[in-house]
Amino acid sequence: MEKETKPKTRKSGKTLQTAREAGYFGKKMLKKGLEAQEKGAPIGWSMVTWWQGELIARAMDVELVFPENYGAFCASVRQAEPHLERSAAEGYPGTLCGYARNCIGYAAMMADNNGKVPEGAPGGGLAKPKFLLGSGAACDARYKWFQALGRYLDAPVWTLDLPQTGTNEFFLAGNKELNISFMVSHLRKYVAFLEDLLGTKLDYDRLREMVIQTLKTLELAHQVDLLRRAKPSPMVGTDFWSVMIPHLYLPDDPEAYEFYQRVYDEVKQKVDNKIGAIPNEKYRMMFSELPPWHTLGFFDEIAERFGIAIVIESWNYHPILPIPEEELDGVTDPLELIARLSYRKWSEYNPVAEKYGVGPGFFMAAYLQYAEDYQADGLLAHPLMSCRPATYTLLHTRNTLEEKLKVPGVVIEGDIVDLRVFNEEEAISKVEAFVETMDHFRDLRKEAGMAW
Amino acid sequence: MSEEKKKTGLARAHELYSYRNRRALELKSEGRKTLGYFCCYPPLEIMTALDFVPIRILGDMDEPITVADGYLPTVMCIFYRSCFDVGMKGKYDYLDGFVGSHSCDGAERTSHIWRNYMKTPCNFFLDMPHTSSPEAVRFFKDQMNYFKETLEDFAGKKITRDRLEESISLHNKQRQLVRELFNLRKPDPPLVTGSEVLQVIIALMVIPVEEGINLLEEVLQEVKSRPNVTPKKPGRLLIWGSLIDHTAFTELIENSGFNIVVEDTAIGARPFWHDVESTEDPMHGLARHYLQEVKCPRTFAKSGRDYREDLENRFGYLKEFAKYWNVNSVYANIIRNCDIHGYEVPSIKDYFESMDLPVLVIEQDYSTAALEPLRTRFQAFAETIQ
Repeated sequence: MEKETKPKTRKSGKTLQTAREAGYFGKKMLKKGLEAQEKGAPIGWSMVTWWQGELIARAMDVELVFPENYGAFCASVRQAEPHLERSAAEGYPGTLCGYARNCIGYAAMMADNNGKVPEGAPGGGLAKPKFLLGSGAACDARYKWFQALGRYLDAPVWTLDLPQTGTNEFFLAGNKELNISFMVSHLRKYVAFLEDLLGTKLDYDRLREMVIQTLKTLELAHQVDLLRRAKPSPMVGTDFWSVMIPHLYLPDDPEAYEFYQRVYDEVKQKVDNKIGAIPNEKYRMMFSELPPWHTLGFFDEIAERFGIAIVIESWNYHPILPIPEEELDGVTDPLELIARLSYRKWSEYNPVAEKYGVGPGFFMAAYLQYAEDYQADGLLAHPLMSCRPATYTLLHTRNTLEEKLKVPGVVIEGDIVDLRVFNEEEAISKVEAFVETMDHFRDLRKEAGMAW
Repeated sequence: MSEEKKKTGLARAHELYSYRNRRALELKSEGRKTLGYFCCYPPLEIMTALDFVPIRILGDMDEPITVADGYLPTVMCIFYRSCFDVGMKGKYDYLDGFVGSHSCDGAERTSHIWRNYMKTPCNFFLDMPHTSSPEAVRFFKDQMNYFKETLEDFAGKKITRDRLEESISLHNKQRQLVRELFNLRKPDPPLVTGSEVLQVIIALMVIPVEEGINLLEEVLQEVKSRPNVTPKKPGRLLIWGSLIDHTAFTELIENSGFNIVVEDTAIGARPFWHDVESTEDPMHGLARHYLQEVKCPRTFAKSGRDYREDLENRFGYLKEFAKYWNVNSVYANIIRNCDIHGYEVPSIKDYFESMDLPVLVIEQDYSTAALEPLRTRFQAFAETIQ
C-alpha cells in the first residue's frame, strides 16, 4: 500500500532548552490519564477554565485531560484530519472550532470502539471520562462542544460560568465583589456535584495548598514574562507555546514550579548576557491569537528572513498579573481564592481599557500595554477559521493599536488545526510587505516623541 | 400624522417592517428617547418603565457587508457582522442608547466593539451567565439592577415598583397576544402566513409596547375576520435555530411547499412564549424569566442521566410545539458561523427524527443575494413529505 504523503513543513525551532523539554508535561497529562483508566480511577475531560475548576477536581483525585490541548497536539503531528472528517460525517458543520471537531471525531471513534481508546490514536489517545468540565468563559464552544459529546459518551457535563463584564460595568461600585460572590457560590455547587459523582469529600486544606502552589507558579511564570521585555528578546513565541503548558494546565504540580525556575534561570541568563532568541533581531512583533500548530516553522522562517522576533503573544494563555496582596489578605476559603484568581484573569486589563477609553478589557486591552512594555513594532494577527471568539476582537485590536500607539498590524488568516486553510507562502509574502509598514510607523512614533 | 399610522393591522405591520426606523424617528421628534439592543435578553420591561423606546438592532440581508470588513473578521457570525455594518453605515445613528448583551459570542464581542465606534449618550453591557441555577439567577438579577440604575441615571428618574409591575403587565399582555397570533396557525391551512407573522413580530420590535398591543389587537381581528387566504401546503413546518428577519426568506420557504406554523427562533416564539411571573421582587421575576424561560441553546441545560434524557432537558419543549401545531417537518436554520446552533445540529436531528419528523439543515449566509440556490433544497424537502 502506498504510504500517505503529507505536505512537508519546517519543524519549529524552539530557542530555549527548557522549551524543548516542555513537551514532557503534555505527555505526562496524557499518560496519567491512561494510567488512571487502567487503575479505574476517575478521569475528567476539561476545558481550560483559568484554574477555576481544574484545581478542585485534582484535589479530589480526578485525573484531568484537556481535549483542547489534544486538538493542538493532533494538529502539530498532522493527525487531526481523520477526526475532522469523522466529525463532518456525523453532521457537525465544518465552521465549528477545529479543536472541537477533532474531539468530536475522536469521541465518535471511541464510541465505535465500545468506549475504549481507538487503536492508533495520536499520542496514545484520551482516556474515557467520568465527567466533562465545560466553561462559559471565552467562547460558547467550550460548553456547547462538551454538550454535543453526549451523543458518544455516557458522562455528565458540568459547566462553570466566569463573569465577563464590560469595562465600564467592571468599575460600577460593588460589581466586582458581586462577581466574586457569584463565582464562589457557583463553585460550591460544582464541589457538591463532584462529591456526589465521586462519592468522596473535598479536602479543603489540600485544595488550599494547591491554590497557593498555583499562585506561586503563576507568579514565577509572570516573572518570565517580565524578563521578556529585554532587548534583544530572550525568548520568542515558539518557546512560549511550549512552556505555557505547565502553567496553564498543571500550575499546582510542584514539577511545574521547578520547571519554571529553570525557565526563569535560562531566560535570565540570556537577558544578562544580551543574547537574543533569534540572531539579528530587527523587528519586535506581538502575535495574537492561537498559532498554526501544524506550521510553527513559519515563525522561524520570518525570523530568519526578516529578523522578526515574536516578543509577546496571545494574552489569554499568559499567567495572571499578580493579585494585589491586600485583595487576598484574610481570604482563607480556597474557593474564594480560586474565584479571585480566575476572575483576575478576565478583568486584569480593565484599567488599561479605561485609560485608553476602549474595550473590551479582555482579549484586546492587554495588547496596548504589551506594545508599550515590549516596545513592539507591530501586531501579527492570526484570525482562525475555526476559533472565532479568539478572533473576533483582532481587527479591532489592530485598529486600536494603530490609532492609539502608532503600532500597525498585519492580518494572516489560518487555523489551529485545519492545515488546509493556511497558506504559508502567501503568509510570508504578507509579512515581507509589512516590514516596510513597520519601518514607516517607527518613523511616525519617533516624530511623535514616543519611547520606541 | 404619518402614512403608516393611518394604516391598521397587517398593512401597518408591513409598513413598520419595511421602514423600521420611521416610527422611532417620529417618537424622537416628540421627545422620546430610543435604546437599541441586541438579541432577546435585555429586559424590555425596565426600558419601558422609564419611557424609553426599545429598538431591536437587526442586520440587513439586502445590504452587502462592506464597512464591517475592517472591524470584524469574516469568520465571525454573519448576522452580527451585518448588524455592525449597517450600524457603521448610520442606520442606527438616531439611537440615544445602546444595550449589548452576553447572549452568545457574536452578540457579546460585537457589543463591546460597537461601543468603541458608535457612541451613544447611554450604553450598557448586560453580562449574563450561561447556566441558570438559582445562584446564576441571583447574579443576573444583580446585573439587571446595575442596568436599571444606569438607565435611571440617564432618564433622570427612578422606577417605582408600581411602574415596573405595570410595565411587566404590558409586556405580558403583548406576549399573550403574540401567542394568540401563533395560535391562528393551528388550523390547516393556517389563517396567517409565516411571512405575515414575521412582519408583525419585527414591527413589535421597533415601536413602544402600548402601540404593539394595539397593532396585535388589530391584526388578530383582521385575520380572524378575513377569508382564509393561506393556501394549504404539504409541509407544516417548524423552524428552529438562528433567526430569520427577512420575508424574502420566509416567502421562498412558503413558495416551496410549506406552511410555516411555528418558529423557535429569537424572532419567533422565544421572546414571547412565557410570561414574566409575578414575584415579590419584580427584578427577581425578570431575571428568572430571561435566564430560564427564554429558550435558546445559549443557556446550558443540566445534563441528563443519559443522552435521551439530555435531549429531553434541552429540547423537550419542542415536542410540545410539534404536537401543538401538528408539525410534519422541521427546518434547522443555521446562520453561518453561529456556534450556538451549529453544535446542536446532529442532536436536534436525533430528537426530531425520533418523533419521525424529517429535518432539513441549511447553513446560510444571511444574504438575500444567496437565497435563490436554497429554493431547490426546500422544494426537494417538500417532495419527501408528500
